[in-house]
Amino acid sequence: MRQTRSRAARGATLASVAAAGALLMAGCAPAEETPTLTWYTNPDDGGQAEIAKICTDAADGRYTIETSMLPNDAASQREQLTRRLAAGDTSMDIMSLDPPFIPELAEPGFLAPVPQDVQEHAKANTLEGALAGAMWKDTMVSVPFWANTQLLWYRKSVAEEAGLDMSQPVTWDQLIEAARQTDTELGVQGNRAESMTVWVNALVEGGGESIIADPAAPANEIQTNLDSEAGRKTAEIISTIGREGLGSAGLPTQAENESMLLFQGDTGSFMVNWPFVWPATLKGAESGALPADLPEDIGWALYPQTMEGQESAPPLGGINLGVGAESEHPELAYDAVSCITSAENQALYFRDNGNPAADPKAYEDPEVLDQYPMAPLVRDSLDQAAPRPQTPYYNEVSTAIQLSFTPPSAVDPATTPAATDQFIEEVLRGERLL
Amino acid sequence: MSTGNPVPAPQEAVTTRPGTDDRHPEAGGSVGRRDVAPETARRGKRGQGTLLWWILALVIGVWCLFPLFSIFATSFKAPSDLANGALLPTTWSTENYREIFVGDSRELFLTALRNSIGITVIATLIAVVLATLAAYAIARLDFPGKKLVLTVSLMVSMFPVISLVTPLFNMWRVLGLYDTWLGLIIPYLSLTLPISIWTLAAFFKQIPWELDQAAQVDGATPLQAFRKVIVPLAAPGVFTTAIIAFFIAWNDFVFGISLTSTETARTVPAALAFFTGASQFESPTGAISAAAIIVTIPIVILVLLFQRQIVAGLTNGAVKG
Amino acid sequence: MSTAVESTPRPRGRAKSARATSEARLGWLLAGPAFFVMLFVVLYPILQALYDSLFTYRLTAPDDKQFVGLANYGVILSDPVFWKDLGVTVLITVVTVLVELILGFLLALAMHHAIKQTRGLIRTMILVPYGIITVVSAFAWYYMFSIDSGFINSWFSWVPGITADLNWFAEGSTALSVIMLSEIWKTTPFISLLLLAGLAQVPGDLTEAAAVDGASWWQRMRLVILPNMKASIMVAVLFRAMDAFRIFDAVYIMTNGAYGTEVLSLLAYRTSIGRLEIGMGSAISVILFLCVALMAFIAVKVFKVDLADRGGSK
Repeated sequence: MRQTRSRAARGATLASVAAAGALLMAGCAPAEETPTLTWYTNPDDGGQAEIAKICTDAADGRYTIETSMLPNDAASQREQLTRRLAAGDTSMDIMSLDPPFIPELAEPGFLAPVPQDVQEHAKANTLEGALAGAMWKDTMVSVPFWANTQLLWYRKSVAEEAGLDMSQPVTWDQLIEAARQTDTELGVQGNRAESMTVWVNALVEGGGESIIADPAAPANEIQTNLDSEAGRKTAEIISTIGREGLGSAGLPTQAENESMLLFQGDTGSFMVNWPFVWPATLKGAESGALPADLPEDIGWALYPQTMEGQESAPPLGGINLGVGAESEHPELAYDAVSCITSAENQALYFRDNGNPAADPKAYEDPEVLDQYPMAPLVRDSLDQAAPRPQTPYYNEVSTAIQLSFTPPSAVDPATTPAATDQFIEEVLRGERLL
Repeated sequence: MSTGNPVPAPQEAVTTRPGTDDRHPEAGGSVGRRDVAPETARRGKRGQGTLLWWILALVIGVWCLFPLFSIFATSFKAPSDLANGALLPTTWSTENYREIFVGDSRELFLTALRNSIGITVIATLIAVVLATLAAYAIARLDFPGKKLVLTVSLMVSMFPVISLVTPLFNMWRVLGLYDTWLGLIIPYLSLTLPISIWTLAAFFKQIPWELDQAAQVDGATPLQAFRKVIVPLAAPGVFTTAIIAFFIAWNDFVFGISLTSTETARTVPAALAFFTGASQFESPTGAISAAAIIVTIPIVILVLLFQRQIVAGLTNGAVKG
Repeated sequence: MSTAVESTPRPRGRAKSARATSEARLGWLLAGPAFFVMLFVVLYPILQALYDSLFTYRLTAPDDKQFVGLANYGVILSDPVFWKDLGVTVLITVVTVLVELILGFLLALAMHHAIKQTRGLIRTMILVPYGIITVVSAFAWYYMFSIDSGFINSWFSWVPGITADLNWFAEGSTALSVIMLSEIWKTTPFISLLLLAGLAQVPGDLTEAAAVDGASWWQRMRLVILPNMKASIMVAVLFRAMDAFRIFDAVYIMTNGAYGTEVLSLLAYRTSIGRLEIGMGSAISVILFLCVALMAFIAVKVFKVDLADRGGSK
């Protein structure tokens, strides 16, 4: 409907009430012949809208980028995009995509192929971890825009009280012990949502396993590895935190924001979370909602280890840009993607919205370093990060994990991993509901 | 939100408006007449009784209005104040309203509001026009299949909405109606048409249609008779039906989230799930509350102005002895 | 409308057949559009769903569409998730309808007998929950009880079992209580209005006669008022039960089905819209439809609820 807006919209509008919205938008378009690209953005602090303006100006009349916002949780974003793509919508010019959901869109050919020059540029200018998330079956299907990773945030006072040397890697067991000892609470995400899969995946990968060994396998042949040493250790960590109440009473409904609030409060100690917590905490301290000296008490380190001595595998998040296969202007869309993902715009986005860049050059930007003193650590963490399973059935896999591992207190290290494996495989074979 | 304020004044005026009372005496009217007897019998205890009635009204008022007041109070809490563990904000902040009217959520909210109003009004109008025709036929004409029309409309009204969503989603995809106004208006008819048909049929049964013939005998042309006699008699019922249909369409959530995906047609209830804090991880509690209050205002206004008609409409269409 | 009036004369005279034919034609002319719109919006989709439910059909893998007969139904009916969701749905339906029936009846009595000054006031106030958007009501109740932004825990900390650490939405029983509370709040007004209409039809002379005969309030209620209201109570219960059975909004907003609060509508939604498994999702939709149809059938055949009376047909 929306792509018709330039000339065709004029005539069609009279005929159809439904086109009324499009007409209003057409009225705003600057020039008669300028194609408008629609960019479906995930919610942020206005950064993507700003970059859309910058790139519209840079396009110098060749195209205009309009943004359209997706819902604010990962699963609903995927729902909206997949439905629209499946509906053959031609307005899907540029989409901000959560990497784990990309294979599902790439497999049925919903994404337009990435032009060679864009591929080469991205491959040469993207951090390893983020690049992996852009590939499906050895082909690049999307362009990394920014990359996210979780750090271990800690209250210096609590770490000191617990006698933890934070300059060395710490393990989950140590954190659990420290929380017990100091009678404080750990900031983790225990609610039944995508953040649970993020946690489980990081723990399993930290134990040297991958949830799915062969992610490209067809649905009825996919096998999961939760019933392994790493999987059982994962279940043990989650269950201990849940059962002993170390994640606070709010744990079963706690997502990223709630765990940040917990961490900022009196019982805060350690927290695994994305870097958005830093600007949010600074803002709270400035406005007086939080104690002014709180930021000074906050330190950061690499994601905790699942097994002592084995390098951790921090969660990998972020956003890639994809172009819809049915888009009417794929070349222009990829032109816009190149502009959006330029090193300058990534640095700008990092600075203004706190979302770390996928391009290593942005980490040298002095302003970024000034605002985000943890930027070098974020970069290291991204190098070490492991993606979530890349399979077209990610939604099923993730939902099954969420169902099995929540509430954390009900997780049983002896039975949950094996039961989850079986559950996922049965769901994928179409033998069970989710 | 005190409940003891003089709200009743306006609708007492409505109650005494000539004509209204006789036409649909079902709930309001007959209730009014019926309780005269016990009231006079107990005249002696009147003072005490009045007080008790006011206390009862207060209790009902608190129960009915408290959740609304609670979200109203939340809408004035600054983000850092949300976890204060109290009903009222520590300081009343208009930040959330700025967010939805001039801030980042402006476009999201205002387009959704426009869609909601547009789609709901159109769906209501279509439903009322179609229902008026059908209800007239049901009330005044004998035709085979009358029972069938009524039965079908009952079935439709009981239909689990979610069962329609999957096939409609698929059909709309093929027809290009997905994420359009029309794509919502059509399914909204399945919600609004049945109740409009019964409500109007019940109203129309009570209209003294013979007046029309009497007017014609008195020399009026059929059109004049219709305009001068029938329209004024039927209008209140049609209007009441429109309000009820509007409420129902305005309330829809399932179709709104399933059959739309952009600002083109997303309605307010669906858009509430799209609000966000400063980053995608932060909670949009404040913005949602503010938006919730804004979309509740039209409801409250309609209720305040037309409570009597709404009650009559709901009870009229409901049970006939 | 004007064409309608021109042909209004209604006598069933000698030219019966001609008149009947023309009346029938006019009747269908007028009622037809509404009738066919309803059929189109409901009947066609459900037939489509019936057809789709016989396939495995995932929207992101359209080429793998395969006819499987009734296999989807087999999977659903043999899956504990379905039975659990059905159980939750039935629980919500039974509890909310029962509570609403009692509260609604009390409310109807209050409105029926209220003195003039408060009658309008009460009616206005109960229409607020009736008119409010369900999603808004769900958010209001959610924020009240939420462990992060709520105040219920601190207000009611004196109630045994409620502490500052009570996370209402972390457990099925407490989460369902809040969900049901919000449903009861939202829909009691509707049921009370239906009952009010029934109350208004109880012949006043009967009640008065009973009072004169020295019947107590309870006796009058049990022997005169309730029997006379049976029809309207049945209709109210049936309508609310069907409505409660398709509950979706409140659960979606408050818990999204987590921790044992999932209902059938949500399962259907997640399967067809979330997972894009059109075949399986359609099968769940059909089952849901059959459940509602069964309820209506039982009500009409066993309890003899005369639904056609609703529209006032004679």
